[in-house]
Amino acid sequence: TVTEPAQILNYLRKLRFNADYELSARQGADTMAYIALLEEKLRPALLHTFWVDTENYSSLTRPWFASRSPFPLNFLVPGHHANTALSRILLTKSDSPLHTITEVEGKIYSEAKECLNLLSHRLGTAYYFFGNTPCSLDAFVFGFLAPLHKASLPSSPLQNHLRQLENLQRFCDHILNAHFSSHPGSPQPVQETVDANLQKLTQLVNKESNLIEKMDDNLRSSPQHKPFRADPRPSPSNSTGSTPA
Amino acid sequence: MTLMLSVPLTLSNFSCYSPVCIDSSHFIMSLAAEAFVSQIAEDQILLSDCASSLAVQAYLRMCNLPVQVSYRPNAEYMSPSGKVPFVHVGNQVVSELGPIVQFTKAKGHSLSDGLDDVQRAEMKAYMELVNNMLLTAELYIQWCDDNTAAEISRPRYSSPYSWPLNHILAYQKQWEVRRKMTAVGWAGKNLEQVYEDVSQCCQALSQRLGTQPYFFNKQPTELDALVFGHLFTILTTRLTSDELSEKVKSYSNLLAFCRRIEQSYFEDSQAGSSSRGYSKGPSLF
Repeated sequence: TVTEPAQILNYLRKLRFNADYELSARQGADTMAYIALLEEKLRPALLHTFWVDTENYSSLTRPWFASRSPFPLNFLVPGHHANTALSRILLTKSDSPLHTITEVEGKIYSEAKECLNLLSHRLGTAYYFFGNTPCSLDAFVFGFLAPLHKASLPSSPLQNHLRQLENLQRFCDHILNAHFSSHPGSPQPVQETVDANLQKLTQLVNKESNLIEKMDDNLRSSPQHKPFRADPRPSPSNSTGSTPA
Repeated sequence: MTLMLSVPLTLSNFSCYSPVCIDSSHFIMSLAAEAFVSQIAEDQILLSDCASSLAVQAYLRMCNLPVQVSYRPNAEYMSPSGKVPFVHVGNQVVSELGPIVQFTKAKGHSLSDGLDDVQRAEMKAYMELVNNMLLTAELYIQWCDDNTAAEISRPRYSSPYSWPLNHILAYQKQWEVRRKMTAVGWAGKNLEQVYEDVSQCCQALSQRLGTQPYFFNKQPTELDALVFGHLFTILTTRLTSDELSEKVKSYSNLLAFCRRIEQSYFEDSQAGSSSRGYSKGPSLF
């Protein structure tokens, strides 16, 4: 098994899948530099937004992860991730071991906003970072930005900042449409068919219940039959209904 | 005693602190020449701190600001952020290259004004690359590699202190650095992988530099200072094995780059330095 993005990319390269084939040496160097920038400046703020900020964690991240893990992992795994995230932020970004997370927050968010601005400047009006075809840097940037762009976070200054950078949003949407929308397992078309089926079923049930009500009224209004409980029976083909003996 | 490296100008004086034993007048901890082997027990500064320190000095010299380097064994505790080097100007103390660059910019000295936004983004990205790869690799080699830690790092770091403080402080520092390595995911790497990462980083820097004299245009920027600080220190420091410096030496344009900056910005100190100053120290020539 291969873990970690960098190792996965190396593994794929050995199998001759390489998106960076067309890049020049200098662009390859730029890729490494930008990835380092993302890791250093953007990742702490993303970790904080998703795992340390209590509102986001309790309303979005934890239920999200817990819903995908079987018992008892759904209690243990999110907490473990949150602790790892917190310790990583404190160890790498805080100036002294005595600082708490609140003192570091301002610093990491301002660095992350600056990083987003730098990415926006670098991307400009192009669709991808290098030329017209995507490469590994585009994949890395997408991986960092897409959750921030799409997740419905209750409180996130970073997400608000991203909303002001239109070219980065366009970049994410473009990659989503181009590479993720035609996926067979994607929830979007399945959801639509489910909705359509549900709608048809609802209509059928409504029609049937209308018919049954009419039948009931007819029976009540005819004098030779005793009035009986108006149970809606699901068999409209039986027009006279079954009467008690 | 302090090493006087100041160039007298009308601008305010900067004092730069590095954690070296107060008896030593050597700025570089490197032990490349035989004559300095006897200094091992007394010098305190380690590779990573020396690299950062040299980067700040190079940057200040590039801005034509006079700098005085003084050594204090407790420099880490004097620094506001716990990291060396830091700069003491008037009644202000600023530590680490990033804030120092911003500080000098606020005072009106900046090397990166001529860059446009895209270039500035690139410069910041490359600075992060150096910090992420080279600095972390240096810290790993110093503290997570048992040989180096036992033979070089711990003795040097604890040299100004007496027993038992020297043991306590050295192990505390080692524990701190190992925790940090675990947090960033480097704890699982072995030495070969670290050398490989350094090699890739140097390759990226070498490709970016190409045949230009400096990384951007014809003028040096803070990126040049940072790269110079790290590469020069790696090249002139003797560790338990030479593999790290060999990795850097295999890129000839980086060697030429270091020589060029050393010549342009550090040679002019020979006239004003004390007898055991920088000029007698190791150089690339």
